[in-house]
Amino acid sequence: MVNAAPATMETRPPAPPSAPALAAKVSPRFPAVAAAAASEGRNVIVDIDDVDFFYGATQALHDITLGIEAKKVTALIGPSGCGKSTLLRCLNRMNDLIDGTRLGGGTIKIHGVDIYQPDVDVIELRKRVGMVFQKSNPFPKSIYENITYGLRLQGLKDRRKLDEIVERSLRGAALWDEVKDRLQASGLGLSGGQQQRLCIARAIAVEPEIILMDEPCSALDPVATAKVEELIQQLRSRYTIVIVTHNMQQAARCSDRTAFFYLGKLIEYADTREIFTNPAHAQTEAYVSGRFG
Amino acid sequence: MIETSPPPQPAPPPVFAVQKRRLRFLGLTLDDTIKAFFGGNALVAVVVLALITVFLFREGAGFFGQNRTNLEIYRQAGLEYVDFIRRQTDDHTALTRYLSDLRLRQVMILTERERRPLDEVNAALAPFDAFAEQFSATVDPLRALLSDLTEQVTAIKTKFIVTQDRKEERRQLLAEGKPAEADAVKIDTIDFATELKPILGALPLYKETSREFSRKLVALLDSVPSLPSPELHPRMEKLKQLARNYAAGFPAIERDMEAWEHTFPVPAWETFTAFLFGRQWLTASFWQDWYGILPLLIGSLLVSAVALALAVPLGVGAAIYVNQIASTREQRLIKPCIEFISAFPSVVLGFFGIAVLGQALRLLSQQPWLSWMPGFPYSERLNILTAGCLLALIAVPTIFTLAEDALNNVPRAFKEASFALGASRLQTITRIIVPASLSGIISAVLLGLGRVVGETMVVLLCAGNRIAIPDFTSGLAVITEPVHTMTGIIAQEMGEVVRGSIHYRALFVVGLVLFVLSLLINYAAQKIVRRYKLSIG
Repeated sequence: MVNAAPATMETRPPAPPSAPALAAKVSPRFPAVAAAAASEGRNVIVDIDDVDFFYGATQALHDITLGIEAKKVTALIGPSGCGKSTLLRCLNRMNDLIDGTRLGGGTIKIHGVDIYQPDVDVIELRKRVGMVFQKSNPFPKSIYENITYGLRLQGLKDRRKLDEIVERSLRGAALWDEVKDRLQASGLGLSGGQQQRLCIARAIAVEPEIILMDEPCSALDPVATAKVEELIQQLRSRYTIVIVTHNMQQAARCSDRTAFFYLGKLIEYADTREIFTNPAHAQTEAYVSGRFG
Repeated sequence: MIETSPPPQPAPPPVFAVQKRRLRFLGLTLDDTIKAFFGGNALVAVVVLALITVFLFREGAGFFGQNRTNLEIYRQAGLEYVDFIRRQTDDHTALTRYLSDLRLRQVMILTERERRPLDEVNAALAPFDAFAEQFSATVDPLRALLSDLTEQVTAIKTKFIVTQDRKEERRQLLAEGKPAEADAVKIDTIDFATELKPILGALPLYKETSREFSRKLVALLDSVPSLPSPELHPRMEKLKQLARNYAAGFPAIERDMEAWEHTFPVPAWETFTAFLFGRQWLTASFWQDWYGILPLLIGSLLVSAVALALAVPLGVGAAIYVNQIASTREQRLIKPCIEFISAFPSVVLGFFGIAVLGQALRLLSQQPWLSWMPGFPYSERLNILTAGCLLALIAVPTIFTLAEDALNNVPRAFKEASFALGASRLQTITRIIVPASLSGIISAVLLGLGRVVGETMVVLLCAGNRIAIPDFTSGLAVITEPVHTMTGIIAQEMGEVVRGSIHYRALFVVGLVLFVLSLLINYAAQKIVRRYKLSIG
């Protein structure tokens, strides 16, 4: 079974069965994640239901159904181009910035609110759903200004309060001790790993509920990666984290739940331990054991 | 007997065959020739630039020596002395002009606002007119004296110039090896002290005339008729004050004239200050030529300022819109349109300015609902505003293109990060995108300025070409006055000057100033861009 997996991959017809069907095959509880989760006592706050997503005429996501639990780390894994980043960017509607993108079908609900309804204020949404990017992108401003940017946008001017939040956020991102003496120095002067943690501090300064991380460690060296992973472990108690990663060990180390994507489809979604030790689907096993992708 | 020497073995082909024979022509390979060609092109550019710079400096440098001689003659021949009186009469003329301006305002009020017939208006203004006539006549005796003295000193100057010409003639004859002819050239020696005696001797007469003038003027001020419109009375009071101050200044003029000596030396720096801070550009004058760059410099700067004031919001605003807000289809429409503006030859724009824009702006200025604008309504069709508007059109493509590049250079990641933190589009633009590209935008503006300062055809056609420092007392209304510019004056006068003359050299120095100005602007722009690249890292 394990050995046959790559062969199965190659001979598989180009259009595999739709996700619900597939899910039904591989995991009996799959089609109604939310319902099932609720019944198991899971606290699902992001409910992705049957989502199709398009870049122009190209369909990037096919019938994705997935529930993300509160105060847990959910990892999205899969080979390049499988749609995991696209899905992540759907959650705070960052895809709106790209011309010609649209949600073709399905709904994404956060706390039961459909975030793609026209009456949703995207700005408000993004305050609640923060994001950390693949390449660290501090603004060309001081460290202090970087952290307070989101707060100042909301009109917060009280210096003492700002100072307090800067310290709290930097401590939260495990960066305070390294930069406390140079808060007015440019954020671009930090090392790569520090920059990424600055971006995390910036994201948590506005107190989001959910933090989306798009391959946050792919541009970092192993030491910096370890620090960021440690940070993720600390953050999980307070935030719901969704992380896209190419690094299987990282997913295994950091996450509670893992979703495996392939060619725009959700192949398998389960507890991380289960995905890595006892995957239900042959493709998942081939991928997590490093035989393709 | 057959010698069975073994057949010559063909040399085995080399295992590592990388050598190749190169074709040579005149000892050069093709590569060398190509290299020489491109290197030569670069060299030509460098050499041409050096030649132009050297030429500018060489032709311009002679000006300062010549200008010093010019200033020396002005003093020695007594022109400077007579100019004390001339300024006095000129100031009186300015007061007369103030009076006629006052009359014009009064007439406007009476005819346009109160709708009174012209005959009635003229009758009402009869006492005023009588006063104005008397006022204007007070200066006549002084003017007669001035005219006499002018003739006399002009004669001295002419005499001196003739001797100078003779000396030059003699020098040339000597240089050609004709001493006999050279000796035949008669050279009068001019003793300025003797020549100036009659002029200086006129001082008592001047004092008498001037004092009489002052008496009459002040006496006249006591019987000023009041104008029909009370709102003009403050202006009338101002005139009285101005005239009293004017008369009070006469003793100072007398003192200056008494202290004046034709032997005062002209220091070397004065030729520079006379050029850089000279308020007059006056050439081919019967009296005295002045080469002061100030009116031209101010003209250039004012026109450029107006152009930038219009072009910066337009260019930068359009760049922000196209780069940050517009859809792809809009981008494809707007960008070529703006870039197309630079396809117009500037002479065509100037033509358009004369034929359409100048007229249109003047008509617009005369609309009653726009009368709150400074300087509106105005009557000069060609002025700073007209030229500035057209120059803005020339600067917009430069500023737009470069500013758009600068905005484009802002990493997309900044924008995404800002949005992800809950910023609106406007907040992202004003707080992230524009600050991050600010130095690029500033350098775009500076390069636009460089483009505008160096522009010639449009200003020559549309700036009005009046060589005078515009009147700044009216504040922003200054932009409705005609000016002349540095580029315009070179284009206009270079064709007519005698090669090597002081005027010719003066134009070169103006060119030099222009060159230095452009250099500074471009240097600043580059400096800023370099800093900007560092800050984006």
